Parts: sequence; C-alpha cells; structure tokens
Amino acid sequence: MPLISIKLIIILLLSTLYLHADEYVVVSNRHIKTLSLAEIKAIYLKKLSYTEDTKLLPINLSLRDKIRKSFEKNVLQMNLIRLNAYWTKQHYLGHRPPLTMKSQEAVKKLIKKVDGAIGYINIDSLDDDLLIIYQWSDK
Amino acid sequence: MMILSQNLLLHGKNIVNKIVIFLLSFFIVLSAQEKEDTYQLGQGLQVGSLPIYVGGYFSVEYAHTKDVTVYSVDDLAFQSYGNYEKFSYMAELEFKELYVKTKVGDRAFTHKDEHLYLERFYMDYTFNENYMIRVGKFNSPIGYWNLVPINVLRDTSSHPITSDILFPQFTTGALATYTSYNTEEIKVNVTLQNNTDLDDDYNNYKIDKHYGIGLTYTQDNLSFKINGGLFEKIPEYFAREKLYYMLLALEYDNDDFKIMSEIGSQKSNNEFTTDYAAYLQGLYRLNEKHNLILRAESFKTKLTPQAQHIGILGYTYRPIYPVAIKAEYQLHSTSRDNELLLSFSMMF
Repeated sequence: MPLISIKLIIILLLSTLYLHADEYVVVSNRHIKTLSLAEIKAIYLKKLSYTEDTKLLPINLSLRDKIRKSFEKNVLQMNLIRLNAYWTKQHYLGHRPPLTMKSQEAVKKLIKKVDGAIGYINIDSLDDDLLIIYQWSDK
Repeated sequence: MMILSQNLLLHGKNIVNKIVIFLLSFFIVLSAQEKEDTYQLGQGLQVGSLPIYVGGYFSVEYAHTKDVTVYSVDDLAFQSYGNYEKFSYMAELEFKELYVKTKVGDRAFTHKDEHLYLERFYMDYTFNENYMIRVGKFNSPIGYWNLVPINVLRDTSSHPITSDILFPQFTTGALATYTSYNTEEIKVNVTLQNNTDLDDDYNNYKIDKHYGIGLTYTQDNLSFKINGGLFEKIPEYFAREKLYYMLLALEYDNDDFKIMSEIGSQKSNNEFTTDYAAYLQGLYRLNEKHNLILRAESFKTKLTPQAQHIGILGYTYRPIYPVAIKAEYQLHSTSRDNELLLSFSMMF
C-alpha cells in the first residue's frame, strides 16, 4: 500500500476518534446566574458557597466514575493525590467534600428539585430543563 | 522509629494507654452513629444525621542533635465542626506535649503536660458569595504555612522559623473576609483583637491586641499573599511591647511539584526585632506516596546578630494521605544544632 494512503487512513482514524470524544456538561436548574470556570472550580473546592443569595450544592459522581475523573482532570485540573491532600486539609479547616451521588439520573433529579445544586453529566443525558453552565470534552 | 516506639512503650505506658482509650472511645462512639457515607480516614465522621463532624490528629516525634535527644507525643487533638444555614463553627482541644522525654548526655528528663488546651474555637457567618465574618480563636490568616500548621498536614516534621517568630500564630477576636472570583481569586482579610486570648498558653506570643490585614491573589496554580499588622505583647518581665510585622508569601502547586516561599520582618518602635526571616521550599512528588523536600531558611534577629542559615532535606512517605512517616535532616550554620527528625502522624 502506498505510504500516502497509510497516512490518509491514520488521519481519518484520528479524526473519527476526535469526533467521537465524549462531551460533558456542568449543569444546574435555571435559577442560577452564569458561572465562570474559576467559580465552578471554587464551588467544587468549597471555597465558594453562595452565588448571589443562593446556597450552592455541588454534586460529585462516584469516585471511580469516568465522568468524575474527566471533570477532575479538565475542570478542577487536579489529580487524585492533590485532591486527597486538599480534602484532608479542608477537614482540619472544617469543610466537607461535595455530596456524592451514584448516577447521572440521581444528579439530574436533585438539581431539578434544589436551587443552587450543580452537577456534571454526559451531554447525551442532558434534559431540556437543565441549564448548561460549562462544557468540555475528553480529547 | 523503632527506638522511639520502644522508648514510648517503656517509659510512657500511661500516656499510650490514654491515647488508646481516647482513640477507642472516639471510634466506639462514632461507630454507633449513622454515617453520611463510607468513612474515609482523614475526613472525620458525621455525628448521627446532624450537620456535625468530629475528627482529630496526633503525632509522635524523635529529634536528635549532637547533645540532646527528644522523644515526644507532641499533639493529640480532637476537633468538631459543623454548619447550619449561614453559620458554621469549629472547636478544637489539644494535648500539646502529652509526653516528652529529653536525654542530655547520660541524664534523662521526662515532662508530661496533661492539660487540655483550647487550640481553636470560632463561629463563622457567611453573608453572601463575597463576605464572611469569623469570631473566636483561630489561626492567624498570615502566609500559607500558618493556616495548616499541624504535623500530618505539613510537608516536613519541622516548620520554618518564619511561622514561629514574626507574628502571633493564633488570634482571639474577629476576622472579616472579602473574596472575589472572576478568572482569578482575590481575597482581602482584616483581623482584629482587642481582648485577652481564649487560651494564651496555646500561642507563641501572649497578646491582647492584634490588628492585621492581608491580601491574597490566586490564579490557577499560583498564589501570592501579603500580610501586615501589629500586636501587643502582654508584659511578663519587661514593659508592654508593640511589634509590627510584614510577610510576603508565594505558593505554586501542580501535580508534580510544589514551591513555597515566605519572607518577613518584625520591628518594635525602636528597632528591628527580626531583620528578616525567610524560607524557600521545593517539594517533588516522586509518586503517589513518596515526596522529597528541600528547604533553605535564613534569619537574623536581635538575639542572633549573625545571620543563621538552615538547609533541610526531607523525605515523606504517605501510605495514604492522612498518614505520614517523615524523616528530615537539618544542616545549621552552627553545626552543633544539626538535627535529625523522625515523625509519625495521622489525621482521623
């Protein structure tokens, strides 16, 4: 097979992989103001507990969940070692890690019920009544 | 570590028994409670279904210089915190030198301080996303090191001289904080104390006045901080003394390494009591459990007119983060002070 064809096939394969990269979103219900990436990070690290007068409730998926791992890598930009260190220090300072829920469905259900609750899900699981605050993908 | 353990067992059975009873009581009481989630060491436990959490920490240390060897149960602390609506609280009690055995040549001295000290006791009220007020006894929000000063959370068993001599480690009074988040985090805090300490035996300075201000700027992994203030020492032998301090601090932390540096000065109305005190520390994460630390310190005070320099090489093993086994060797400009430090510490 000519070299040029092999290169073409590789490029096409890589493009296909990129096109199928998982897309994720941070969501809330519609009673919350727009949040910046720095604010989302601060909310999940429990540095920021209110926005305007609404108490914030960040929700994590389970520790081994693929979306959580992607969220920690791409949004919080911290690996598990630093997060463990961070939450042990926060325990000394009197702060708790975010609430953990087992499924995206449970996250969505809570967000719809509670103003100020925010979570992250796969974009394919998005419902019309949820507000997208931030979007990222695994590359 | 083995020498330390044997010594503690031989000479400190009473103390060890107390620790065991303390820890057993803690876990027995809490195992009877309803938990919020699976217990994780180092993150405390919820009391029933109340928004109240309990936990604590302890450390044992071995320190050896040319002339002196010290074995100690340095900290045994119990803390409780919680929140309701916009209020939250923190209470912490600590045995600070529960057992200390000092050997100088052939002579040995044992010191046991079984007094329970009040380390922190405060209440917070969060007004909104920007404003928060704290009232009570708390870690003075100066620099980075002083915020998490306990052994298990520190990178090394020892702590730099900047956090010992420049400012009061604790304040009993009010702390007002303004925080703004945009693409970066900006935090301004004002500290006010105009009363006696809630427990002045647990502070590096006995003070009844402390006024301080701090500004922190954080963007991504990089953070800068500047603090300034004044405090008044309660006279013990000499006249009341007003001291002014200033501290600049920097911290950079990523997944592979962390750099910290603090430099500060202290003066009275007449002279510099500390011309300068500074450190620069690098921590390299060899992997998930092993850290290598290098720290250079330098200081000059009116009591040490010659500048003193310390170089520290440390290694920390954390089988899990809330458990730390540390070793460090300190090289001092006065070689007689060269010191080996070993410690075991844990947060629960």
